[in-house]
Amino acid sequence: MHVKKYLLKCLHRLQKGPGYTYKELLVWYCDNTNTHGPKRIIREGPKKKAMWFLITLLFASLVCWQWGVFIKTYLSWEVSVSLSMGFKAMDFPAVTICNASPFRYSKVRHLLKDLDELMEAVLARILAPESSQANATAAMNLSMWNYTPLVLIDERDPHHPVVLDLFANDPTGSASSSPGPRGACNAQGCKVAMRLCSLNGTSCTFRNFSSATQAVTEWYALQATNIFSQVPQRELVELGYSAERLILACLFGAEPCSYRNFTSIFYPDYGNCYVFNWGMTEKALPSANPGTEFGLKLILDIGQEDYVPFLASTAGVRLMLHEQRSYPFIREEGVDAMSGTETSIGVLVDKLQRKGEPYSPCTVNGSDVPVQNLYGSYNTTYSIQACLHSCFQTQMIASCQCGHYLYPLPRGQEYCNSRDFPDWAPCYLALRMSEAERETCIRMCKESCNDTQYKMTISMADWPSEASEDWIFHVLSQERDQSTNVTLSRKGVVKLNIYFQEFNYRTIEESAANNIVWLLSNLGGQFGFWMGGSVLCLIEFAEIIIDFVWITIIKLVALAKGLRQRQAQARYAGPPPTVAELVEAHTNFGFQPDVGHRSPDAEAYPDEQALPIPGTPPPNYDSLRLQPLDVVESDSEGDAV
Amino acid sequence: MAPGEKIKAKIKKNLPVKGPQAPTIKELMRWYCLNTNTHGCRRIVVSPGRLRRLLWIAFTLTAVGLIFWQCALLVFSFYTVSVSIKVHFQKLDFPAVTICNINPYKYSVVRDLLADLEQETRGALKSLYGFSEVKSRKQRDTESWSPAWEGVRPKFLNLVPLLIFNRDEKGKARDFLSLGRKRKISGNIIHKASNVVQVHESKKVVGFQLCPNDSSDCATYTFSSGINAIQEWYKLHYMNIMAQVPLEKKINMSYSAEELLVTCFFDGMSCDARNFTLFHHPMYGNCYTFNNRENETILSTSMGGSEYGLQVILYINEEEYNPFLVSATGAKVLIHRQDEYPFIEDVGTEIETAMSTSIGMHLTESFKLSEPYSQCTEDGSDVPIKNIYNAAYSLQICLYSCFQTKMVEKCGCAQYSQPLPPAANYCNYQQHPNWMYCYYQLYQAFVQEELGCQSVCKQSCSFKEWALTTSLAQWPSAVSEKWLLPVLTWDQGQQINKKLNKTDWAKLLIFYKDLNQRSIMESPANSIEMLLSNFGGQLGLWMSCSVVCVIEIIEVFFIDSLSIVTRRQWQKAKEWWARRKAAPSAEAPSGAQGQENPALEIDDDLPTFTSALSLPPAPGAQVPGTPPPRYNTLRLERTFSQQLADTRLPDEP
Repeated sequence: MHVKKYLLKCLHRLQKGPGYTYKELLVWYCDNTNTHGPKRIIREGPKKKAMWFLITLLFASLVCWQWGVFIKTYLSWEVSVSLSMGFKAMDFPAVTICNASPFRYSKVRHLLKDLDELMEAVLARILAPESSQANATAAMNLSMWNYTPLVLIDERDPHHPVVLDLFANDPTGSASSSPGPRGACNAQGCKVAMRLCSLNGTSCTFRNFSSATQAVTEWYALQATNIFSQVPQRELVELGYSAERLILACLFGAEPCSYRNFTSIFYPDYGNCYVFNWGMTEKALPSANPGTEFGLKLILDIGQEDYVPFLASTAGVRLMLHEQRSYPFIREEGVDAMSGTETSIGVLVDKLQRKGEPYSPCTVNGSDVPVQNLYGSYNTTYSIQACLHSCFQTQMIASCQCGHYLYPLPRGQEYCNSRDFPDWAPCYLALRMSEAERETCIRMCKESCNDTQYKMTISMADWPSEASEDWIFHVLSQERDQSTNVTLSRKGVVKLNIYFQEFNYRTIEESAANNIVWLLSNLGGQFGFWMGGSVLCLIEFAEIIIDFVWITIIKLVALAKGLRQRQAQARYAGPPPTVAELVEAHTNFGFQPDVGHRSPDAEAYPDEQALPIPGTPPPNYDSLRLQPLDVVESDSEGDAV
Repeated sequence: MAPGEKIKAKIKKNLPVKGPQAPTIKELMRWYCLNTNTHGCRRIVVSPGRLRRLLWIAFTLTAVGLIFWQCALLVFSFYTVSVSIKVHFQKLDFPAVTICNINPYKYSVVRDLLADLEQETRGALKSLYGFSEVKSRKQRDTESWSPAWEGVRPKFLNLVPLLIFNRDEKGKARDFLSLGRKRKISGNIIHKASNVVQVHESKKVVGFQLCPNDSSDCATYTFSSGINAIQEWYKLHYMNIMAQVPLEKKINMSYSAEELLVTCFFDGMSCDARNFTLFHHPMYGNCYTFNNRENETILSTSMGGSEYGLQVILYINEEEYNPFLVSATGAKVLIHRQDEYPFIEDVGTEIETAMSTSIGMHLTESFKLSEPYSQCTEDGSDVPIKNIYNAAYSLQICLYSCFQTKMVEKCGCAQYSQPLPPAANYCNYQQHPNWMYCYYQLYQAFVQEELGCQSVCKQSCSFKEWALTTSLAQWPSAVSEKWLLPVLTWDQGQQINKKLNKTDWAKLLIFYKDLNQRSIMESPANSIEMLLSNFGGQLGLWMSCSVVCVIEIIEVFFIDSLSIVTRRQWQKAKEWWARRKAAPSAEAPSGAQGQENPALEIDDDLPTFTSALSLPPAPGAQVPGTPPPRYNTLRLERTFSQQLADTRLPDEP
């Protein structure tokens, strides 16, 4: 009992709040809060009171709704972009140049000897079936042919297409090997296709082509891949174009440069490529001026006569501009430059800087992408192309057990070739056509947060001019070969000018559209606009809620006590309570028996009169104290009507 | 008593309408200033001294002014947009690619139709420039071009004569048909190039003359170069002739898909003529569109790079070129949206023969906000021009439709290079002898924006743009030429013995450089929430005011002040009435007027501020006997019950 008393005292002390009933509390709050509106509710007449009550309620709900809108906007992590354009001194881009032909034909002739003979026979068969009929095919190495042969599909009778092997030495084609139908077969009637069979020859698929040109080109490329993938990369490098042969002259701004300034990199499909200003070992070269005079000028010799005839049908230089320390995906992103011309390339650096999570899904260095970066061995930065290629190679190894020749190998794997992996070609083609596999790769790979693109403006002119042709070729030939004869021709030389445009950068930078300051000022603005409130008002409100809880606790305690007391009274029944007891009952703030009679109407009085009121209890000073001065003031004004 | 009445009475009893509590405006203002939630006003009232009071009035007024100014700025900048640029990496839809040979029809086929015109053109060349014989290809030499045309009456030159003008004697022209005979030119000379470049001082200027039927008001068009003059003149007659040829025949005269497209490769798969849809263009003949919507599935690319794009080899067939109509060789390519009309003559990219042209694409999508943010249209339905093209709306389509409609209106026939509006025919001499004059006049007006097309047509709100990077390489290379040309010839299905040149072919690669798609999106910079919260910020910053304050102001300054004023007036009128009544001859015209005002009825015997104080307490509110004061509740009762008692008074009669 002692503890309870102490607790009650504590409670009392803590609850030095604005009243002991909900109503008192509310009125006190409305009267004293800084939020606009509530004060009006209690200060006005009944009709206006109702109106003000509704208005306040409406505004409060408006504020809540709009706060919701703002918080939702904030949590959508939107970005705003700032775009800046202009000129500034920047690092010159890395320039990768490749010859369109991967190898020098004079050096790879021994490797491709069989294939070329086969190819020529195939062409002869397609173009003039009768005349080549007599040619003995026995001299050729037919093992390669039998692996993936080309077939003619005679579609003149659309319901019964006849499949003809180009060399009529297989038994299946013997039935239709009579020269009659074959002789008349041309492009309209016959289509060339590639037959892809699995190891035991049980399941065969045909890869159809709409034209013979395409069919033979694809077939040759497939066979050549087969051959080159068996040669170690060291030797392949030797077979390609060397830097000295390719790069005849180089000038960067006013500084002379030479083939020594180029870093060599080997591409399976373009042979030796050379990167200028890669920034791998030395610092990147800056360029502080726009215009041709301050850019990179190159004269290259592509040696068109030495092209591999069936592998490269386009002649020229493939070049690409890319960021320092990034891997050049020249096949995807390169552009061509023609021989016998001067190609001028004006560069605009287009930078995109993303904000990263949670604003936009991107990766800073690729460490959070679930694909092993196979280009990591080149010590280059992450890019989405690298990720996609690595992803494809991983899939290839998973399904075909060997890696594709065009992409780097993971540790301990081998490149595909028909000797060790006879099934690889159908497997590869199936994988390449598979849309689903590609989409998984796209889903897995993330964009890099800092993305740089080089926008090029390409223009061309004939070079060298007819008047200057003689001396230019003479000088260049002598410099390269120390010979007095002209060893160069218009078919081989390419001139390149790469320079910054007048405006050399365009940066798109993301920044958070809605930061916390934005959120707070808008929340404040809304609250202020509708109700004139601030954070202090929220604290007030919280305080009132705490008071509310207190009052509830007190009431519950009082209720329990009242119950017990009533029980006790019922037990006593006889003698009236003493004065001390009554005093105790009154000073106990929990003693509020008439909760139901709290209505503001004056009719309450008669009811209260009927209650048994004890003589003259001491005044309840505590509640007197709470009565603020201005209430009285306002009352007098309220009386004024 | 009806229940409705009862409820009414109850409402009247419980929620009485009270007038303002202050007796005068001054009192009201004072009360307002003391009790308002707006900061500043209280200071005006409670500040001691006149100087301070004035200062506070100045501060408050400045704050009010600032609020109005800033809020006006906010309102005016409400309809602004913010632009966001987004880049995503994703699978992209491949655009539609339209490929045309620059030459519209095979010359060998179309020659019969154009024989007369060709003869006259050659004749004109000979007499104007002394150009006697074309050393053209063998094939053409075999067909003898007889110089006997002079015997025939030239119909084309008669219709629209080519003329030589002497610079120094303007207005006089020489018809080369009747050399020597000077022809007086009446009418205006319109120099085709005069507003573009200053023409160098050459003696002779070539042009042609267009006359309406009655031949009184001729317009003469001159050109700075004879090449332009002859080509324009030829084109005019060419359109005239072709307008009379039915469409099926024209399609047959042009190149077939199998002829034009030798090989086709898309995304590692072989494709052929069936993947292309025919699109007949009046000036370019048969064009073929790849990846059109015809077969309902739009192809897409999931890898960047030339391997995964479209690769075609085109057969250009230089031999079949029309020597006067086109002077360039090659093909034209246009990359566009599937539902877009290919304006190949306006925005195509030309590709060269004996070259491999790589076109790398970058996709940029733009979305603009329509009204009220900017003048653009979502689908063209709100533009008052009927779309005569079978394609989605674009500004170009709108302009051409507008011109064509005007042409049909003014000239009675439609221009050949644009589609036909319903119930109209293409122009030709037989039916519309003076259409050319009409057309040139109209075209002039169109270019000078006199037709109003430019102001009516709006740009569309969203568009896709493919930024192209074009690069060239030699193809076929010197060493591969030997085997590639025969195979291509075989593919083409030609006789093998016929030697085809490498300039008869062109290779084209179209691909996405990477799968990054840029979207430029406009979004409203301000939402209504933002505007309100900015208002709130301004109001709160300067005066700690809110909408509640605004309502207060309305209440006090408009409703209360007005009722006080009317009450004052009413009392004055009553006093005056009373005085009048005291006088013997008293009529009550004003009282009747006052009675008609229902708003004043309640105010009838409203107590004023001071009189209310001296009123006896209401009987209902009588405090019973002497109950022990329950101070706690007493305070509450007073705020409500005293007022109630107060307001109940006026209801009692």
